Amino acid sequence: MSQLSMSAPTPGAEPIADLSKAPLPTARTLRVRRNVALQFFRFLSFNSRIMRMVVKGHK
Amino acid sequence: MAEVLVLGAGVSGHTAALHLRRLLGRQHTVTVVSPNANWNWIPSNIWVGVGDMGKKDVVFPLAPIYARKGIGFRQAKAVAIRPSGDDEDAKGAVDIEYTEPSRAGQSERLRYDYLINATGPKLRFEATEGMGPDGFTASVCTADHAVEANEKLRETIAKLKAGQPQTLVVGMGHGTCTCEGAAFEYTFNVDHLLRAEGVRDLARLVYLTNEAALGDFGVDGMVFDQSGFQTTSELWTGSLFRERDVEAILGAHVTKVTATEIHYELLDGSLHTIAHDFAMLIPPFGGQPLKAYDAEGNDITGELFAPSGFMKVDANYTAKPYEEWTADDWPKTYAAVGYDNVWAVGIAFAPPHQISRPRKSPNGTMIAPAPPRTGMPSGVMGKTVAMTIADRIKNGPSAPSRTASMARMGAACVASAGTGLTKGSAAAMTMLPVVPDYQRYPTGRDVRETRGEIGLHGHWVKLMLHYLFIYKAKARLGWQLIPE
Repeated sequence: MSQLSMSAPTPGAEPIADLSKAPLPTARTLRVRRNVALQFFRFLSFNSRIMRMVVKGHK
Repeated sequence: MAEVLVLGAGVSGHTAALHLRRLLGRQHTVTVVSPNANWNWIPSNIWVGVGDMGKKDVVFPLAPIYARKGIGFRQAKAVAIRPSGDDEDAKGAVDIEYTEPSRAGQSERLRYDYLINATGPKLRFEATEGMGPDGFTASVCTADHAVEANEKLRETIAKLKAGQPQTLVVGMGHGTCTCEGAAFEYTFNVDHLLRAEGVRDLARLVYLTNEAALGDFGVDGMVFDQSGFQTTSELWTGSLFRERDVEAILGAHVTKVTATEIHYELLDGSLHTIAHDFAMLIPPFGGQPLKAYDAEGNDITGELFAPSGFMKVDANYTAKPYEEWTADDWPKTYAAVGYDNVWAVGIAFAPPHQISRPRKSPNGTMIAPAPPRTGMPSGVMGKTVAMTIADRIKNGPSAPSRTASMARMGAACVASAGTGLTKGSAAAMTMLPVVPDYQRYPTGRDVRETRGEIGLHGHWVKLMLHYLFIYKAKARLGWQLIPE
């Protein structure tokens, strides 16, 4: 069941998905996504997850 | 002495060839047949399509690599497989036609003891009238297409800079397309570029997709464990669309493209049209047009290949409803039906069914993403089959097959959302397994390993993968230590 519905199309109009229920990131979240130091740790974390998956899932 | 033939030099075929050469002594031959002279790191075509990289950054010639590694290379396309040989020799054979300019038009019959079909996709632009570089839409499926896409995009940006509002549509050009991730990436790279050029306010950017919900990605979406709550890839993806002000049209099957309009049908059967000034639409994939013949020359194409052109392997192809699909339906060894010395890997194997729930409009139009089988899984399949063949050659024909089911293996999908070492961004996802297994996991996947993150680090990961995989594909020192 889709959580983000398509807007009810009216004749001639384009049926665009209603994204108003999608969570909008806060200013703090956007800052964190660009903070070089914090992102470096996320970089290490993401790579370790890839490696875990290689070990667990590629057998 | 054994002769191993690999058809295709994409991620799967090239990986298989390199591992075979590493695992087998020089008394055995490994030969690659590919119509292309170059290897292409396709995930970075996105960046070529927005001008952040040139063609030279994503391709390199195959011949010098194969010459250095002792791998035979024919720049040619395979046209027919003869798994039982012909009236002269019972050994399996493949008919090829050269595409190398100096031998164009010549053909040859190559014999094999072991065959890997890794021929990749046929880009079926013809499936939708007006789609493709010869029609009215751009593509990023090849490096050359991506170069053209960037040129068209720059023309659009020039018009925006002149004050003319423009509508840019990026997405899927048919109801049965796969590779939604590529369209997703291109959408947000275009958004990033428009912002960098200072023209985003005049541009309307629309993502037009066959996915019934955002975040489906052809894998039926994902459930993430985030901050102590379970959330969906739909909400997570929708968040990015909302933040970047990208509009989305879901569950769409494009029926026709003209110079100014895209016509499409929705899952509810309604018909619509959207005007466009620039469009990049991914085509549906089909199998390469390979024929198959028995020793007497009778056509057995239907025995080896599904109607889609993909090769039938050890999957459960019994037609059954979505609710009865299981992880066990998916192939494990990739051995072709009826021939234990032939395999199909990467896009070349016929999937047993979609991963996403299949849907039809009331008009009977199938609007369902095809299952992705590129990138990480593709490389793993290539290596797995290479190891099976090496085992058979070294230990005899009874050596057990290695396995690599997409219902067991994981994958990372790093979808770029803009470049720049400090300003870049990407939606980075991991999923384990690729094909959901509801008997093992309540959400279909391991929530500890199935995650989605957005941020600068995702761009660094994508950039790192670009350089790592090109290094690996060039078979430089220690290449085999880099995982698939």
